[in-house]
Amino acid sequence: MRHIIVLVRKDLKHFVRDRAALLLTFLVPFALIALFGFIFGLYGSHGGPAGINVGVVDASGSPDGARLVAALKAEPAFNVITDEPGPNGTRTPLAEKDLDRLIRADRFRFALVLPPDFSSGDNIGLHVKLVENPQNNIETQMVTGLLQKTLFTSAPRLIGAHLQSLARRELGSDRLDRFDRRMAQTVASAFGGDEQQIYAHIRDGAMGWTAPAEAGAGGAGGTSDFMSRILKIDTVKVAGKGLSDRTATATQLVGGWAIQFLLFAVAASAVSLFYEKDHGIFQRLLAGSCPRSAILCSKFIYGMLIGLLQLLVLFIAGHFLFGIHLLPYVPALVLMCLGAAAACSAFGMLLASVAGSQDAARGLSTLAILTMSAIGGAWMPISLLPAAVQQVSKLTLVYWSMEGFGKVLWLHAALAELLVPFGILAGMTALILAISWWRFNRSTIFD
Amino acid sequence: MSLLNVTSVTVRYGALTALADIDLTIDAGEFFGLLGPNGAGKSTLMSTIAGLRRPNEGAVAIDGRSAGDPAARAALGLVPQGLALYPDLTAQENLEIFGALQGLGGAELRERVAELLKAVQLEDRRHDVVKSYSGGMKRRLNLAAGLLHRPKLLLCDEPTVGVDPQSRNAIFELLERLNAGGMTIIYSTHYMEEASRLCSRIGIIDHGRMLALGSLDGLLGEAREVTILQRPSLEAKFLELTGRALRE
Repeated sequence: MRHIIVLVRKDLKHFVRDRAALLLTFLVPFALIALFGFIFGLYGSHGGPAGINVGVVDASGSPDGARLVAALKAEPAFNVITDEPGPNGTRTPLAEKDLDRLIRADRFRFALVLPPDFSSGDNIGLHVKLVENPQNNIETQMVTGLLQKTLFTSAPRLIGAHLQSLARRELGSDRLDRFDRRMAQTVASAFGGDEQQIYAHIRDGAMGWTAPAEAGAGGAGGTSDFMSRILKIDTVKVAGKGLSDRTATATQLVGGWAIQFLLFAVAASAVSLFYEKDHGIFQRLLAGSCPRSAILCSKFIYGMLIGLLQLLVLFIAGHFLFGIHLLPYVPALVLMCLGAAAACSAFGMLLASVAGSQDAARGLSTLAILTMSAIGGAWMPISLLPAAVQQVSKLTLVYWSMEGFGKVLWLHAALAELLVPFGILAGMTALILAISWWRFNRSTIFD
Repeated sequence: MSLLNVTSVTVRYGALTALADIDLTIDAGEFFGLLGPNGAGKSTLMSTIAGLRRPNEGAVAIDGRSAGDPAARAALGLVPQGLALYPDLTAQENLEIFGALQGLGGAELRERVAELLKAVQLEDRRHDVVKSYSGGMKRRLNLAAGLLHRPKLLLCDEPTVGVDPQSRNAIFELLERLNAGGMTIIYSTHYMEEASRLCSRIGIIDHGRMLALGSLDGLLGEAREVTILQRPSLEAKFLELTGRALRE
């Protein structure tokens, strides 16, 4: 045991002395977590993307078109561009013919055209045109999704107004006005309410629903919108109650980022075995009274200690940056961090045992870590992955670490409820260490 | 009285025979030089003596104990060819770690570290990290790290590679003092003048076989006068035994 303690102390001294290692272990992940938080929109008042340039051409010149443009401008994800600089400092409204040029000039990659018959055609419904440069498939899907959301949120009122205009054309203003007043009177007598106000809503096409701009950004608060009248959904949260969107998202994401950074850190630590071999340090240690098992155990324990420290630091960073709730769950979190750190440290040992050199270990570790992170759920929910990959992901330590962190920080599980993820991580650690030990005894690292 | 007995040792790496039936006895207090070209088997012999490699045949005993036994390990100090030091730690920290691993502790460790730092003339730089040292300073510290537990037998594997003449001389003087104090030293080198200066007995090894073994005078007496200088030299004897073909 004395050998192990001395060697772990040596590695810790080395670590504290190595500024690059300190930066990589603590500061870089801290900065990257802050950066990822920015990318995932955790700093703004709303989650999700912001400020995507979208060109809008309103060729309809109608009040409905203006309402839709206002709704698009109210959507924080978009930076709506409706004009461009003209001669003498003037602004020229965008025209459809300009869009190809402006998209090619990368002024924006998406444009929405509201044609002259946008809401005044003979058919019931809206007619819009989307012009896009689908350079990035994910971005295209995201932007078209957001545009559709804004359009659908605005559609009911616009369609209502359109129905009124169609009726006016068919019935004439007087007859339609009499119809609207009779309808308002009937509704007021049947359901109550101010008859004049109901009449005004019917005349404007706003038949009881609220325009998105009035309901709040993005229509998120549009509880009275058309769709919700048809299908009312009551949402009940079983976890994450009382958390802001930002904190909830961060709580789910930080664990994944942390485990990925940890894997890179322990892989670097394991690679140092090759340095010690190449410089004859193992020869010196083994020629003395230090057994192989002490060298390997010390590396494992050192990796686990650094891993535990790094995970805790990253979760603390998550607490200060994104408001993740930690304090009530510290014992459970420490337990899961310990399980994850032990498994990651064992993984580092396995890397060193199967690689023949420092370079091979570095290449192998990058490949293995990125693969495990991707399929283990560190980058995205595994529900987005193909079913077969979801099964494979359960074989990774990333998956079980994420599972454990989720249980602690999201479900607020008690210590006993962590038995499964912690037990599986402990089992993985034992198995990986056994394989590593077997491989080390067959490799040339101690020759 | 013999301190080291190497008896009919054969070491194989797969189909390659690295050491073939080596017999070697070294008495206590000897300064033994091991000469050989690259790939001759010097390092394999050193590793086998140090207990790092188990021979396929034969046996190695240090002070009557089988190589690899704890008592044999305690009697042995190794100065590897590589700079077996932790570059981000100071000289003092390096020696403290290696000393602790050898079982030293407390005041004994502190005194021994101070003594050795003085012996290798690194007292003033004891708190500097090793990576800031010159090649000669690192070599001197590398030697000191092998001496912490006062071994009876010191294995030096090319301990002066790449050092300046001053550091080399300092290393020689320290080794000579240690040998004069009774320490047995096996010194592996490519440099004939080092072996000539330091060693009382020399073995020349090649292709895993001990080609010649004897005192410097004895080997020189056998040397044919075929050198350019037209006088017997250890180098002439070495080339005569191992040939002039380049080794990779």
